[in-house]
Amino acid sequence: MKLAVERVGKSFGERTILKDVSLTVKEHEFVCILGHSGCGKSTLLNMVAGYMFPDEGEIKVDGKPIQGPSKARGMVFQDHALFPWYSVLENVSFGPEVQGMPKKKAREIAKEFLALVGLEKHASHYPAELSGGMKQRVGIARALASSPDILLMDEPFGALDILTRDMMQRELRRIYEKLKPTILFVTHSISEAVYLADRVVVMKRGAIADIFEVDIAHPRSYESPGFGEAMARIERLLMEDEEVPA
Amino acid sequence: MSDIQATGIADANAHAGTDPAAMAPHRVVRKKKRKSGYAPIWNVLPYLLFFVVWEAFSRINESAALFNPLFLPAPTTLLSEGWDLAKTGLIWDSVLASSIRILIGFAYGAGTAIALAVLMVKFRQVERWLNPVLSLVSPIPSLALLPLFIIWFGIGEFPKVLLIAWTTMIPVLVNTVEGFKSVPSTLIRSALSLGASQRQIFTRIMIPSAVPNLLIGAQIALGLSFGALIVAEMMGADSGLGYMIVDARNYFKITNIFVAIILIGIEYSLFSVILKLLERRVLAWRKGGLNDAVEK
Repeated sequence: MKLAVERVGKSFGERTILKDVSLTVKEHEFVCILGHSGCGKSTLLNMVAGYMFPDEGEIKVDGKPIQGPSKARGMVFQDHALFPWYSVLENVSFGPEVQGMPKKKAREIAKEFLALVGLEKHASHYPAELSGGMKQRVGIARALASSPDILLMDEPFGALDILTRDMMQRELRRIYEKLKPTILFVTHSISEAVYLADRVVVMKRGAIADIFEVDIAHPRSYESPGFGEAMARIERLLMEDEEVPA
Repeated sequence: MSDIQATGIADANAHAGTDPAAMAPHRVVRKKKRKSGYAPIWNVLPYLLFFVVWEAFSRINESAALFNPLFLPAPTTLLSEGWDLAKTGLIWDSVLASSIRILIGFAYGAGTAIALAVLMVKFRQVERWLNPVLSLVSPIPSLALLPLFIIWFGIGEFPKVLLIAWTTMIPVLVNTVEGFKSVPSTLIRSALSLGASQRQIFTRIMIPSAVPNLLIGAQIALGLSFGALIVAEMMGADSGLGYMIVDARNYFKITNIFVAIILIGIEYSLFSVILKLLERRVLAWRKGGLNDAVEK
């Protein structure tokens, strides 16, 4: 699997959201897109998912342009987007089931992925009964259960409190190490990007400002050599000629 | 103890499952929480007091004659006369006739409304042409149409059932369409990314998200259609609770009027409870609201 974003531009009416964005994501790579709100990072992700289409340029998976949403590209949303009328287990087995897998087998697979995120005991609960972090785990398990080629994550931990967020980052890294999926992860947190990613793509005003390779051994922490420096470099880039509102 | 478990749901640590009781179905626990602090006797008391005051007032009026005692019979009188009436079979016949009308009318009305709502959501053209028409006819109180229905369709069963169906259809349709339209777009997006077809999106996402609104529409419609039922039975019918009222008025049998009114109240409550039970069953996934906002 290889994702290629080629000279993509997008505007809504007069407003240009993205201009001339090019990016490739290789198989098993964990890439973070980092930027201020409104820099176009979510729009880019939505186009990769197939919910929107570029005005200019093309987005290709293995050389084929994206036609629309597909089970090959799983999405994890900031607001988790779990189906409230389905139990946790039914949410996770939704993907395999609609793709035609027999119900019993789909439920078994769902149980495996629930075990992966440590929620097998909550299989029969409804999403409304779970905490924010637990909902997001279900969201990740649900996206993984349809075995997508690439996992797209749109600020998945943005609505969580800081402690839960740290826990979820460790959790995601653990899952990544186990399954080695390809992940494209959108965030506005510098530390989150540096903690998680192999490569950090920094976006400013609809364009890619720079791409950083993060070459720090896992498990990373603030104390890891190079962690602070990487964060400082990215922050400098992000804050460069940003006007401070008076 | 159980209250502690209930609050544990929101606890991020609950997934650790250290407390075996935390795995028990929460619904049971929640019910306990909802119980008010009063003993059951206090719930019955207001009803009891209402009838006691009524009884006392009627009995005093019988001797004091503030107004004609026949105008307001005592509850015990109503009970005994109602019993006599029941033995003639009139009550059973009336309740049966009314129930059949409302069931058929309600079912047809709700069915048509759901079918139309689906068409309106699936085909934009249908919505474009139907919506203006709906905004023209929906403000008209359906009872105003009854004389017209009688002229068009006679005084048989059809115009009555039609009136009830019409009364049911409008609120169910409006609410169901609203429900379909308020489906969060991220739910549709996530279903698409999980490989769902358009058909599966409709059956597994759109319909379940519209159900709460549909049921709200049904509750509104039930109240309105009971009104339609009684009025329809008052105009050109020879059976049913509405007819019982008109017939009793013609012969100045005030106790019969009261019996019919009480039966209407009981029947409406019964239907309403059935609908509420259905709602609780279908919407078991729903949590929150006022009852869960603050522990009482």
